[in-house]
Amino acid sequence: MRVRWLIPAGACMAAVAPAAYATQYLSVEQAQRAAFPQAGAFVPVAAPDAATASALDAPPGWAPRIFAARGEDAATLGWLIVDQVLGKSEMITYATALDARGAVLSVEVLEYREAHGGEIRMAAWRKQFAGKTQSDAAALGRDIKNISGATLSCRHLTEGVQRVLRLHDFLLAARTG
Amino acid sequence: MKHHPITLAVLAFVALGGAPARADEAALKAEVEALRAEVAALKDAVQQMRAERVAGSGPATGAAATAPATPRGVPDAPQPAAAPASAAASPGLALGEGTTLWGYGQLDYNHPTAHAADARADLTRAVLGFSHVFDDTTRVVGEIEWEHAIASAEDAGETEVEQLYVEHALAPNYGVRAGLVLIPLGLLNEHHEPTQFYGVQRNFVETAIIPSTWREGAIAGYGSTDAGLSWNVGIGTGPNLGKWDPASDEGRASPLGSIHQELQLANAHDPALFGTLNWQGVPGLTLGGGLFTGKIGQATSRRSDGDANFPADDARLTLGEVHARWQTGPFDFAALYTRGAISDTQALNLGFLGQPTPVPKSFWGSYVQGAWRALEWNRSALVPFARYEAFNTAASYAAQPQGLGSAALPTERVWTVGANYYLNPNVVFKIDYQDFNHDDTVLGYGNRFDLGIGYQF
Repeated sequence: MRVRWLIPAGACMAAVAPAAYATQYLSVEQAQRAAFPQAGAFVPVAAPDAATASALDAPPGWAPRIFAARGEDAATLGWLIVDQVLGKSEMITYATALDARGAVLSVEVLEYREAHGGEIRMAAWRKQFAGKTQSDAAALGRDIKNISGATLSCRHLTEGVQRVLRLHDFLLAARTG
Repeated sequence: MKHHPITLAVLAFVALGGAPARADEAALKAEVEALRAEVAALKDAVQQMRAERVAGSGPATGAAATAPATPRGVPDAPQPAAAPASAAASPGLALGEGTTLWGYGQLDYNHPTAHAADARADLTRAVLGFSHVFDDTTRVVGEIEWEHAIASAEDAGETEVEQLYVEHALAPNYGVRAGLVLIPLGLLNEHHEPTQFYGVQRNFVETAIIPSTWREGAIAGYGSTDAGLSWNVGIGTGPNLGKWDPASDEGRASPLGSIHQELQLANAHDPALFGTLNWQGVPGLTLGGGLFTGKIGQATSRRSDGDANFPADDARLTLGEVHARWQTGPFDFAALYTRGAISDTQALNLGFLGQPTPVPKSFWGSYVQGAWRALEWNRSALVPFARYEAFNTAASYAAQPQGLGSAALPTERVWTVGANYYLNPNVVFKIDYQDFNHDDTVLGYGNRFDLGIGYQF
């Protein structure tokens, strides 16, 4: 598709309005507190490198923010992974909380930017992920029920959680302790 | 801002040492304890970082080193922002920060089994959409559509602005849109991309009765609740009954499609109201309905460019619909019923005597549909489906003097069976067979075999 003629116009618009339309429902810190109210600290973990991203079928540049939730005794309570997936044409920022075994505690939508499909924020839909582990990841596409009118947001967020579960198995499980 | 852990610790002690004397010793002790906890967390992180440097860079991948600690109340250490991550998803094209381009398209081949000579291939539509954000609460959204490949005075194609509105979020859960907006009735009108529906062409009920893609100039509020309820209410323009052409078949194909205005120098004397409510509180289930009502005479008898003898200034359109969709596992079931009525058409139709297409008093349609995601591999899927539709674009007419009235049209019933093959979620190849109970070559109704390609990005 030839869209080069639109680029100058887009660049001009971007120059005068470098903003991002996004409805923020939770900050990262709020998501941390909501998932692990008993945690004494949230320790950032470096993002996966390109080889890990490739092994997890993620695109180059994939850089989720990973936090280890630590108890007062410094034991790992679990993990909070802040990631982005595409909705229909805009990115959805979401946070997946995993317990120390790698099971999903919660999925929170932090920022949503689409005109439609925001129904994925509904607690009833997000609760479907609770308790899922890496062994459930492959079946998530069938197990997680869709929301009519938010098909792409549902599908892509489900794929994102699948990848997060695999990330835990691949990278984080050995760090728990 | 970058915070080195040691720096933070030093700053913490400096802050402590520089604090003014406090009368409350207990509060001071508490603060010291808090700082100790933070320093302990910092030490923990530094130790972990050192250990991992020694051990290499991560157990399975050799990748990750743990970053400095971020104790409660201390800003996050700098990390790369989360990047676009949907592995095989197809993002809209970013044209600089704040502007996104997307699109979809549909190409069809129709082969009437009893009239093979009428077989036709068409680039049905190509659409480019864009959004541009002005700030974190306001953006403009638009779609421009080309139908039937070529748009010129000599060709059948059209170029249309399908939607163009400014959206402003008033709060995380509600906001307002103003401009050319899609009327949120039914399951299809707002979600009409070819990857979103089963079958080569959109279903008849949501084209003949609900005239997808139906848009009006309007200001509308929208919102949702955590319980799964979403709503949309608006006021805007409506159809113009003054445009009704009794000599044309357009009104028989779609009563509202023949008199919609699409914000093209729309006569706007009579505002219309619309509202919809959907409940999706149970995952996979959608229950909803909507109503559109307004006078559609548009003061035709009093307009400077109108017909002084137009007798239906007070005609009112009321169109309602209810729908349900249940998506569970590999199955996708949907059902919809819609009914419309136009009042005060008796005198208008009296003037149309002898013409083939008077204005209906009522029209309706309904369908049930089932689809099964039978096969999935990699990102491909094969989804056979079946749909049964019944619809009538002129189920009744206003009473006329005996012997002058028109008979209601027969109800058209259509079976559609076929399959969507998704090469990936954004590219679909379609095949179906449609069986009609009444042939109508003018409207293109007749048993046929269809092929289609659709995409969106």
